[in-house]
Amino acid sequence: MATSQWWASESFWRKTAIWVTGGSFIALILLTMDTIPQISTGSKRVPAYSVINYRISYKFDETRHVQVPVIGAKEPLFGKELNEEEAEALVKLGKLTTQSKNCMNCHTLLGNGAYYAPDLTKSWLDQYWGTKEVREVQMLEFIKDPSDKVHNSMGRRMPKLEITDEEARGVVAFLKWMSSIDTNGFPYNFKSIEQEN
Amino acid sequence: MATLGMLDSANLNGGQKLAVKYFTVAIVLFGAQILFGLLSGLQYLYPDFLYGVLDFSVNRMVHINALVVWLLYGFLGSVYWLLEEESQHEVVGLKLGNLIYWVLTAAVTVVVLVYLFVQIGPGKESSIWLINEGREYIEAPRWADIGIVVSVLVVFFNVAATFSKGRYTGIAGVLVLDMLALFGIYLAGMFYTTNISIDQYWWWWVIHLWVEATWEVMVACIMAYGLMKVLGVSRKIVETWLYIEVALMFGSGILGLGHHYFWIGTPEYWFSIGGFFSALEPIPLVAMVVHAVFDAGARHAKNNNHPAMAWLIAHAFGNFFGAGVWGFMHTLPQINLYTHGTQWSASHGHLAFFGAYATIIIAMFYLGIQRWRGGTWMSGDLPGNGWKWKWALGLLNLGMVGMTVAMLVSGYVQSQIERAIEGSTWMGYFAAQIHPWFVQGMWWREVFGVMFLVGFVLLVWDLLTIGKGESRKMIEVSNAA
Amino acid sequence: MIEPASLGNFFTIFFTSAMVIMLGALYALLFAFSRLKGDKRLMPLAYLSYAGLLISTLFLADAANLLKHPFWTVIVAFMLVGYLLAPHAIWHLCVGTHAAEHVEVEPIKNY
Ligand code: HEM
Ligand code: HEM
Ligand SMILES: [Fe+2]
Repeated sequence: MATSQWWASESFWRKTAIWVTGGSFIALILLTMDTIPQISTGSKRVPAYSVINYRISYKFDETRHVQVPVIGAKEPLFGKELNEEEAEALVKLGKLTTQSKNCMNCHTLLGNGAYYAPDLTKSWLDQYWGTKEVREVQMLEFIKDPSDKVHNSMGRRMPKLEITDEEARGVVAFLKWMSSIDTNGFPYNFKSIEQEN
Repeated sequence: MATLGMLDSANLNGGQKLAVKYFTVAIVLFGAQILFGLLSGLQYLYPDFLYGVLDFSVNRMVHINALVVWLLYGFLGSVYWLLEEESQHEVVGLKLGNLIYWVLTAAVTVVVLVYLFVQIGPGKESSIWLINEGREYIEAPRWADIGIVVSVLVVFFNVAATFSKGRYTGIAGVLVLDMLALFGIYLAGMFYTTNISIDQYWWWWVIHLWVEATWEVMVACIMAYGLMKVLGVSRKIVETWLYIEVALMFGSGILGLGHHYFWIGTPEYWFSIGGFFSALEPIPLVAMVVHAVFDAGARHAKNNNHPAMAWLIAHAFGNFFGAGVWGFMHTLPQINLYTHGTQWSASHGHLAFFGAYATIIIAMFYLGIQRWRGGTWMSGDLPGNGWKWKWALGLLNLGMVGMTVAMLVSGYVQSQIERAIEGSTWMGYFAAQIHPWFVQGMWWREVFGVMFLVGFVLLVWDLLTIGKGESRKMIEVSNAA
Repeated sequence: MIEPASLGNFFTIFFTSAMVIMLGALYALLFAFSRLKGDKRLMPLAYLSYAGLLISTLFLADAANLLKHPFWTVIVAFMLVGYLLAPHAIWHLCVGTHAAEHVEVEPIKNY
């Protein structure tokens, strides 16, 4: 048999490979163009940085069957209301600090990173911080020097990462802002700190 | 003149001389990867070990960066290895290629030294430019990113130009376009943004579109070349299959990216896209396994390099299990909600990276050493019955499977206790970490890690000695290249 | 869009999804072997693997709440059909691409 089937021929598969690759890539570009605006800062899913002026909670949604972030009453971070630029500057300092201190190589953020330490997606809402009155101070103290704060029977501790007071405030702002992102219910069944007055 | 049984660079063509340099650094970094993996694994068991000196974050960063870099070195080496044979032409800018090799290697050394001795910086953009970027796998500081991009562009032009001057085969066409995509995608990870959702959106472009698309096609090219060399399969067949694999891999893998867009803030339609294309992703891997068996069966597995052939088979199966089976087990959003970011992910990550990529680069090491020694015999009847390569193969694979299963047990407990019951709180996290099963898993991971290390030592020893003083030429396989 | 799995079903999900892929490969391999060796006795085993795959998929679908939503139900149906036909397609491709092998008496040496 000298002629092989067209569907088993090299040229057919070369063309198919090109078309499939091109098609998938174009589809991905289109999806990206649709997604990026939906996750840009200030969108419904990813709130503006000034959201740190408000109470953020994580509540069960009857229609979506998972918990979703809810933005509530005014509750400025560190008791000081910030305008949009100031809020962005603070969160940016925090994000830069998390990158330059390499947080992601112990923790996960939005579930991505390393598994040596707890997920930080909703850490702003963690019951670990005690009450909502002491939370901010607790967080600042912890971030600046966790080395003497062991909270598990294994003795696993976070190292002291030379984080300044201002950087620590940035990190807390970043964590508060991150907890307001709509992550489709991740983490599931999360048990929040008590925030109602 | 070719000298049999001795390490003599006269046995290599120009591109291959450069290739073995890349391979050498790759092996050294592979060793470093294992060392730092063992250190991080040990810190799970003894948290005070090296605390404040080399923290877990540092060890882990070196571990996974060494991994990425040694595999990339393996790819660059493999490309230079096959370049002259494939194109029937000398590498056009070999001097430049050598220079780039030294520049890259110097840059990698500086980056690692900074990781180890500077470790962290203040919360400023300058830290990201000079120390580390703090984004998993692509932590390399920005200056190094730019250096890497420039270097690989030079490699790219070198390769493309060589093929253009010589023979432009089907493998060449796929390889050149794939290199362009592979390097191009890296750019998606090279900018700073405060918005973590957008940050992770592009970060996954780099990670996923590397390992599940462009790297898969890269190794498919290497596999095509390897099958022609080791088994003597005809070019027409391997190239047709290369196109089939490209179509299936890219067709499922590019949009398979959706399985990372479930929980980072992205809209819900990614559930459907991720679910659908992830279900397709194992198909090319199954096709590859069947075709490999078909090919081997068709020529009664007669081959001229037993270790390389064994590692190529390990690649086909490792890719299938690590990526196909382990990937599919946690990919549906209904379950990924609980396994996302647990030891589950680590279990899959280890088996997939090792099975799909480490294996085939090791096969290339064996092809390399065979030629370097003048094309010696590497079939049956090796001195000592080839115990070194066989034990290395066994220990490395068993060690990896052991580690993977250990992490799977830990991940299973973690997904239940931390994720489903406690809801990922700080308390929940530690409740899982102290569970006896979890702890056992971490111990066994370390034990099998040591086994893996022993396998690695044997592998290096074997590579240094196999074919030494051998007087038989390798078997000729029919070849229509 | 999705209904998260419940705790009691985790094991079923991990187990059955692994089985789906492994039985899929086993089916494809047995199918290819049976044809390659001309051994008809292997064929029932191949389809037995597929039957196992089918059962695993249904258990998976139930455990992961896939049948509670039309989109995921379609995915399940699609997987069942796709994994049934893929080994046939792969086999035909193996044979089809190798058909040319015997034709290629003289290797292309045009350099
Ligand atoms: C050779 C190919 C592959 C490699 C090297 C690979 C590697 C990895 C690695 C290292 C991670 C963890 C990323 C992190 O650090 O967060 C990961 C995550 C993941 N992979 Fe793969 N993978 C491959 C193929 C696949 C395939 C074929 C599938 C699906 C069928 C898959 C599904 C997933 C999923 C769903 C995650 C996310 C886990 C999570 O949510 O934490 N992978 N992969
Ligand atoms: C002695 C052997 C090894 C040991 C003890 C080891 C240990 C570790 C540890 C402790 C982590 C950190 C996981 C965490 O964040 O909790 C890790 C991550 C990782 N290792 Fe290894 N490793 C070894 C070998 C390897 C090999 C051979 C590969 C690949 C070829 C590999 C690929 C990875 C990857 C991809 C990650 C990131 C996983 C993720 O984020 O999901 N490791 N390893
Ligand atoms: Fe992926």
